[in-house]
Amino acid sequence: MGPQNNPYQSQKAVIQKIIPETSGIKTFVVQPESGFSFHCGQFAELSVPGIGEAPFAMSSPCFKSEQLEFTIQNVGYMTSRLHAMKEGDIVGIRGPYGNGFPLDDFYGKEVLLLIGGVGFPPARTLIYSLLNEKNKFKRIILCYGARTPEDVVYKYQVEDFRKKIELYMTVDKADKNWRESEGVVTVLLDKVKVDLKNSAAVVIGPPIMMKFGTFKLLEVGYQPKDIYLSMERKMYCGIGQCRHCMIDHYFICKDGPVFTYEQLKNFPNIWE
Amino acid sequence: MEKYMILAPQKENGGLFMQPVIQDNVAHIVYDEARAAQPLKTFLLPPLDEVVGKKVQAEKPWLFLGIKACGLAALPILDQAFGGDFTDPIYQKRREESFIVSSDCTQPWETCFCTLVGGQPYPVKGFDLNLSKVWDGFVIEVGSLRGKTLLEGHDEVLKEVVREEATALEKMRNETTKKVEEQNRDFKFEKRHREVVSGNWESEVWERHSETCVECGACNHACPTCHCYFLDDVTRKTFVKLRGWDSCMYSGYAVTAGGGTPRPRLYERFRNRYFCKFKYLDDNYGMYGCTGCGRCIEGCQGKIDMRQALKDLVKN
Ligand SMILES: Cc1cc2nc3c(=O)[nH]c(=O)nc-3n(C[C@H](O)[C@H](O)[C@H](O)COP(=O)(O)OP(=O)(O)OC[C@H]3O[C@@H](n4cnc5c(N)ncnc54)[C@H](O)[C@@H]3O)c2cc1C
Ligand code: SF4
Ligand code: SF4
Repeated sequence: MGPQNNPYQSQKAVIQKIIPETSGIKTFVVQPESGFSFHCGQFAELSVPGIGEAPFAMSSPCFKSEQLEFTIQNVGYMTSRLHAMKEGDIVGIRGPYGNGFPLDDFYGKEVLLLIGGVGFPPARTLIYSLLNEKNKFKRIILCYGARTPEDVVYKYQVEDFRKKIELYMTVDKADKNWRESEGVVTVLLDKVKVDLKNSAAVVIGPPIMMKFGTFKLLEVGYQPKDIYLSMERKMYCGIGQCRHCMIDHYFICKDGPVFTYEQLKNFPNIWE
Repeated sequence: MEKYMILAPQKENGGLFMQPVIQDNVAHIVYDEARAAQPLKTFLLPPLDEVVGKKVQAEKPWLFLGIKACGLAALPILDQAFGGDFTDPIYQKRREESFIVSSDCTQPWETCFCTLVGGQPYPVKGFDLNLSKVWDGFVIEVGSLRGKTLLEGHDEVLKEVVREEATALEKMRNETTKKVEEQNRDFKFEKRHREVVSGNWESEVWERHSETCVECGACNHACPTCHCYFLDDVTRKTFVKLRGWDSCMYSGYAVTAGGGTPRPRLYERFRNRYFCKFKYLDDNYGMYGCTGCGRCIEGCQGKIDMRQALKDLVKN
């Protein structure tokens, strides 16, 4: 029984670089021992050997399989150990898991990304994929919200993104150097005019933000089938067995993490 | 036979427990009567198992004796959950190599209710051999090629079943079935379980019936189809990954790093268990997650009876 047919077995990956993003968020550039191809929007189970394992979205371009990036917030047991690691250290990785974004659905459309906080990692992968075939999409609009200017991730890429896509940013609490909007991320939707008949919206972020983001999009006139949500729940296996991540009968890890609001709208408690 | 680790139901303090069979307890094997306390998952997916790091090849395969119909009925769920897109090679090996000798029930427990969920107290599929005690011998039904092979070369102890024996077997099966039906007379309803449960998201039944629950998780752990698990990375001598039984009744079951959970209240977790059994598993694997074995009723510290809860939902 080799690791390739044991779904619980991780392969080794070397941390090549650690990029500090904010006081609690770091981007880890890792190189898996034997490559790792994935589709944008999928995720992996990363492990700190002997400590624990947790699901994280890849934040690097999906057309690069030899080197991956993960942008990870320090929130608890496993992530704090990960944050204490150094370049050259070894982590475990298994996957990729989940369905990823249905890029075909977005062809010819105005794609609006409504992103909050640490929801940016999978969104960045999506942006890379969209830019990779830029002429296939009518517009690419990113509305990003963070708590404070310090909490903005990928600050070093903001100017580059601004040249390539329509970028709107907001923070809940601005400081005197902040030149963008202030307020929760949904305020940005008042600034963007989209062709509702030909647009798809993608929502990723903390549960509350996703809830109010989705409601705002509905209010603006989006159809539930045109709103794409990348969902998060407690998860152990990532492979549709342990049943922790279920929303009704859906496995977020296998049937998701990307769902349309149409698929989920009739289930209670989807935002918790 | 030395190829196998043999497990069979044996009496202890009025209960039946799956115990290893050794030379001197062969006489104490209880083939008939009713299901044993431990479900088959105890052996195929042990409570704490090394899923990375273990040399599973070294394990001897199981030979199970005296498994009842409600035990066999649970296996297709585990087979689908641990097979499919991401096959668990450890489960698969244990499952493929284990040999199942089932038996008819003759004295169902008070908590047994297989007939309410589409089952019957005698095995019809899923076994290698089935033994039905008739008079002073057994009627043997062959359920697989392996079962057939095992019988080959034992003609000296085998003979064709005669009509009288077949009739006696049928009579015995009917009687046991009647007994199960009779003891569940008050819990019977016509509506499909799926509709009863999914039509009752909002119901006072969930709160009322979960009032005495102490969140021990026995209902999950005793159940032959419940298979939620957690994974844990630990360093023993070398690095291992453990898989352990979890319980959806525990408050921490679905808690994420921020402290959020979709089911903070006990009655919500209680309701979720019923929805899982009669809706979600049906959607996932095309079958209910309940075989009517009655273990969750027997093991419940709060004396909660699933049959009564379901019946009360129907009344609503
Ligand atoms: C599909 C998916 C993609 C994700 N992508 C990212 C990402 O790109 N960046 C990022 O910072 N975070 C991401 N998360 C959240 C991340 O998995 C949790 O922050 C992480 O599990 C916390 O682990 P911990 O041990 O530090 O926290 P603890 O609170 O100590 O958690 C203990 C255990 O609970 C589980 N757990 C806790 N919180 C979560 C959670 N929110 N989601 C799932 N399981 C949880 C884990 O199994 C963990 O081992 C993602 C979650 C999912 C489901
Ligand atoms: S839910 Fe209860 S009665 Fe049904 S199979 Fe599980 S333990 Fe047995
Ligand atoms: S066995 Fe009974 S008391 Fe224990 S968790 Fe289940 S319902 Fe609650």
